Amino acid sequence: MSDKVHVTLTVNGRSVDADVEPRVHLADFLRHDLGLTGTHVGCEQGACGNCTVISDGVALKSCLTLAVQADGSEIETVESLATGDQLSPLQQAFKDAHALQCGYCTPGFLMTITALERRGGALSREELRGELAGVICRCTGYETIIEAAEDHLAEVAARG
Amino acid sequence: MKAAPFAYVRPSSVAEAVTALAEHEGMARVLAGGQSLVPMLNMRLMRPTAVVDVNRIPGLDTVAIGPEGGSIGSLTRYSTLEASADIAAHLALLTTVTRHIGDRQVRNRGTIGGSLAQADPVGEMPLACLALGASVLVQSVSGTREVPVHELLLGPYWTSLEPDELIVEVRFPTAPSLFAFSEVTRRHNDFAVLAVAVTATRTGEGFTGVRLAASGVEATAILAEDASAVLEGTSLSDAEIAAAVEATVDVADPSDDVRASAEYRVHLLRVHVRRALERLRDGGDRV
Amino acid sequence: MVDLLHRHTAAGTGLGVSLPRVEDDRLLRGEGRFVDDLHPFQALHMAVLRCPFPRAQVVSIDISAALELTGVEQILVGSQVAERSEPISVLRPVPGAPDLPFFALATDVAHFEGQPVVSVVAQSRAIAEDALDLIDVEFDPLPHVSDVVSAMEPDAPLLHPNELATNRLVTNNQERGNPDGELAASAVVASDRFFVNRVTALPMEGRAVVAEWRQGARELIVQHSTQTPHLVRKQLAEALRLDEGSIRVLTDDVGGGFGMKLGIYPEDVLACLHALELGRPVKWVEDRTEHFRASTHARESVHDASIGATADGRFTAMTNAYATDLGALNSPFGSAQLTSITFGGPYNVEHIRTERLVTVTSKTPIGAYRGYGQPESNFVREVLIDRIARQLGRDPLDLRLQNLLRPEDLPWTNHTGAILDSGDYAATLRMATERVGYDALRAAGRGPRADGRLTGVGLSCFIERTGYPSARFLANRGSQFGAHEGVTLRANRSGGIDLITGVSSFGQSSETTFAQLLSEVTGIDAGLVRVHTGDTGASPVNTGGFASRTTIAAAGAIELAGLEFVGKALRIAAWLLEIDDPTSLAVRGTDIGPRDSDGPTVPLADVFSTAILGQGIPPSEAPGLEATAYYEPQAAAYAFGSAAAVVAVDPETGDFTIERFVMVHDCGVPVNPMLVEGQVLGALAQGFGAALMEELRYDPDTGQLLNGSLLDYFAPTAADLPHVELLHTEVPSPVTPLGVRGVGEIGTIPPGAAIVNAVCDALSDPQIELSRLPVTPEAVWRALADAAAKGGRA
Repeated sequence: MSDKVHVTLTVNGRSVDADVEPRVHLADFLRHDLGLTGTHVGCEQGACGNCTVISDGVALKSCLTLAVQADGSEIETVESLATGDQLSPLQQAFKDAHALQCGYCTPGFLMTITALERRGGALSREELRGELAGVICRCTGYETIIEAAEDHLAEVAARG
Repeated sequence: MKAAPFAYVRPSSVAEAVTALAEHEGMARVLAGGQSLVPMLNMRLMRPTAVVDVNRIPGLDTVAIGPEGGSIGSLTRYSTLEASADIAAHLALLTTVTRHIGDRQVRNRGTIGGSLAQADPVGEMPLACLALGASVLVQSVSGTREVPVHELLLGPYWTSLEPDELIVEVRFPTAPSLFAFSEVTRRHNDFAVLAVAVTATRTGEGFTGVRLAASGVEATAILAEDASAVLEGTSLSDAEIAAAVEATVDVADPSDDVRASAEYRVHLLRVHVRRALERLRDGGDRV
Repeated sequence: MVDLLHRHTAAGTGLGVSLPRVEDDRLLRGEGRFVDDLHPFQALHMAVLRCPFPRAQVVSIDISAALELTGVEQILVGSQVAERSEPISVLRPVPGAPDLPFFALATDVAHFEGQPVVSVVAQSRAIAEDALDLIDVEFDPLPHVSDVVSAMEPDAPLLHPNELATNRLVTNNQERGNPDGELAASAVVASDRFFVNRVTALPMEGRAVVAEWRQGARELIVQHSTQTPHLVRKQLAEALRLDEGSIRVLTDDVGGGFGMKLGIYPEDVLACLHALELGRPVKWVEDRTEHFRASTHARESVHDASIGATADGRFTAMTNAYATDLGALNSPFGSAQLTSITFGGPYNVEHIRTERLVTVTSKTPIGAYRGYGQPESNFVREVLIDRIARQLGRDPLDLRLQNLLRPEDLPWTNHTGAILDSGDYAATLRMATERVGYDALRAAGRGPRADGRLTGVGLSCFIERTGYPSARFLANRGSQFGAHEGVTLRANRSGGIDLITGVSSFGQSSETTFAQLLSEVTGIDAGLVRVHTGDTGASPVNTGGFASRTTIAAAGAIELAGLEFVGKALRIAAWLLEIDDPTSLAVRGTDIGPRDSDGPTVPLADVFSTAILGQGIPPSEAPGLEATAYYEPQAAAYAFGSAAAVVAVDPETGDFTIERFVMVHDCGVPVNPMLVEGQVLGALAQGFGAALMEELRYDPDTGQLLNGSLLDYFAPTAADLPHVELLHTEVPSPVTPLGVRGVGEIGTIPPGAAIVNAVCDALSDPQIELSRLPVTPEAVWRALADAAAKGGRA
């Protein structure tokens, strides 16, 4: 009754074929089947957002998505951001602002902000705080994360 | 924790979906946005034999809202509701409450139909749909029926849906021109301690079509019909508002939980019903 | 007084430079290596059946159906674990307390909800959990105790009848002078009972372990998410009856610890026992549901406290008799131990008594957590000071300034023997109040603003003990660890230095700061230093990352080792350069050359290679270039500061917002100002969480945890915290290497008191008393209602 289901999806631009048990959520599939361990699991209750990835352009919590649901989807994880040796501008903004300490929640923030960046539109600091409220960080107190996001989004906006 | 095993069904039509639901005789669960269902699966608090994923059914996410109301497909995501100009123009309360739901990730996935079927007692969407006088169109193997939201919501996480019924759309009558919404939470966009939504239309000096709804004070969101009746056709004077507050408190019976005590909820209900009605009198909230 | 973040002027990569972190790149790219990221070949997975009751007799266990499930490899129950292992040891026992021994699985009585009862190892975690569903345990619920007050009631059920005659574990009293007499003679006395909430550290990565036994090598490799790899090794050796030499603990990236990941927990022993018997790697990763019940909680205490003052405002005496909860059993670090030491705070008070009563209850064990008793004492004292001010009609700022210890009063030995080393406490308070515009805020009218809200300002002055005052101090308390850090420096042929430490990386940035410290001492660019962390097989035996002590102790070790290392490097360089006096040389960038002039230089890579090869070195030198040093501080350094909060309160609902929060603190000489600021901001967020939102709540009737999930435990989000204005002073500590003070915990301390004092100021009704954390809108509303009932504000 829990027969495996065949799925075909794109992960970070690479095509993936796999057979998965329906009960396996996308975060576990990415981490333990594909070895993409940059996506972190903090609760499996949908509350911490550390497992946020981008699916077909929108940020979602990969512990609340079944891997079978991702069949046919295009998934992006934190591993897609840097190019070779080069951090992406958002990653660099995090480094410059000291927006990470233990680094466990960081991929969740990076993917949330990446989706936000693509959505475009200006945000007040208050609205930005709201957009980032889906990821829990226990180290930084968020101040430097908000700073990094603000700096980065402003730079993106300035570039046009 | 990892979910207990279940079978996965991905119908491509509503007919296929309700057939699958019927075949599993109440042991299947509908997977829409999954933002409430999947945590329950992961924590093994729910162990369906099958999960029926309705996300690939075409045509379930159509927004058709105009000055006379209209319908919203049950699979429409909160983020879509939030960004819809038609909804902002004609069902502004819906746009407003959507901003109070969960976080961005949840709003990207959660659906209006899923929220109503979930019947979270403090969910914003059931509350707003009650205040707006919405109904749901549900389909099963034996046909379709329309259920007013106040008849849909029976209790916490409990609806009048049959196990083989699927909500396919939510229907809205012409929205009143004014609304006010207040919500109290323990942290940003958390489950509500208390929420109040009121809608009405200004007709000359008076207010008509008043619908006052509250959540956090009963086992499910409630429509305060007596309070609404007290206010109908009045100018919402202080005395009339005070009477409506008392009429609302009369039908409230909250309980204690980790978010607030029952006593505090009653106090908040008094304050926020009054404030919401005062704001309504002053022209109401804006998106 | 320096604004540290703007001190980028110093050249080089030593002390005081905001170097970017070396930890960042891997973490930003998703290349951190946390325990659950490891996928050893043929790994098995463990799941644990836990007691669902606060206290219960384990009557019977039927595992037969679970054993038949395909994919299940092994199941252990309590009696087997008791045969094959020893009780879990305690690292920091409560002084004077008897042992409460327990095994990794409950053997007879389970003492708290969440205590492990059965462990299952299977092909996957999901199958292991399927097996748990098939295990039938008969529990016979026993009477329980759900808080420290009811624990001490005469008719309370006795929780550990074999070890304890009551539910009191121990009482520790410390007293100086005549506090009772002084209180009796005081013109005013403020007294109350204060309640401090039970919270949890909540690192985003839970606990995790992978254990692998290599029979032929007799080596147990334990990959572990911990702040203390060497202490984990020690405790595992004791529990598993293995030589320490047979255990290697490896700790890569750790997703936060905050004191919760010190030492071992039952699941670590279980994973190792399974691995020893199965000969395959066994992985256990804590899920969040388990975490809320089985990882240590923190705080929870009840204080009966008093402060007296003369009519002109001089503090006469302070007393604090408090009950603090141990929970059901000992954790490695037990309940918080710094409340008494810091209760007197930065004030000049001669007559003082603290009485600590440690109770047992039927709840998850309490463990160390950032602050470790100091937020509690600060809350009680600073709230009482404001009440004294109200009784005397004095301004809370003036009253504090009158009583703060002056720089010339330091060093100051308090009633516990703790020595406050140095600092200008009043300067931080003046800075905070100037920044916040205190006088204008106090002078403003007391009426509501246009939005109906009332504004108020509140203060909190604080100290934090950072580091331990020597191993002797710890020995007197029975602690099973030292106060030292040790490092090894080893040259490599590329001209770099491998710095090897037993400290692990859990967000505290030690890799960056250790490289900076070495750069400061030796002149070598920090970029040439590679810090290797968390491997007990490679590093000198150290203590670990907790108690705001790592940087202090490591600074000393790095300084000693660095001087030895660079001394030898210069001697070899002098030999190569054919210069007589090595002291005329210095490290300059990637070379060694004349200290004060131009002249021939030799690359570090050549010097290091020569030393490693042992060919062409001076005849008096041994081959190799390596130095190991240990350093034990002989005194703790006390960090200090002041905070000011501005709040706006809705008097109708009790709802309030923190409109401003200013904090001035002093951590001595900052190693890396950017990282210092990060530590303070992070700890403040946890301080706000515990002060405003977080609380583990238990049903008093069933004794069960009511909010054991992230959905119901209110950890703050990015949208819940106030903007913080952070200022610094910089008084070097005379008792530490390089003048540093620890900085990891200070932010947890001031929020509760500053916010409560601000709310009370806003409501300006002397009848309103807030004596409980967290201070929620409902709590404020209740205080208003109570005051109205007492005839205050209508």
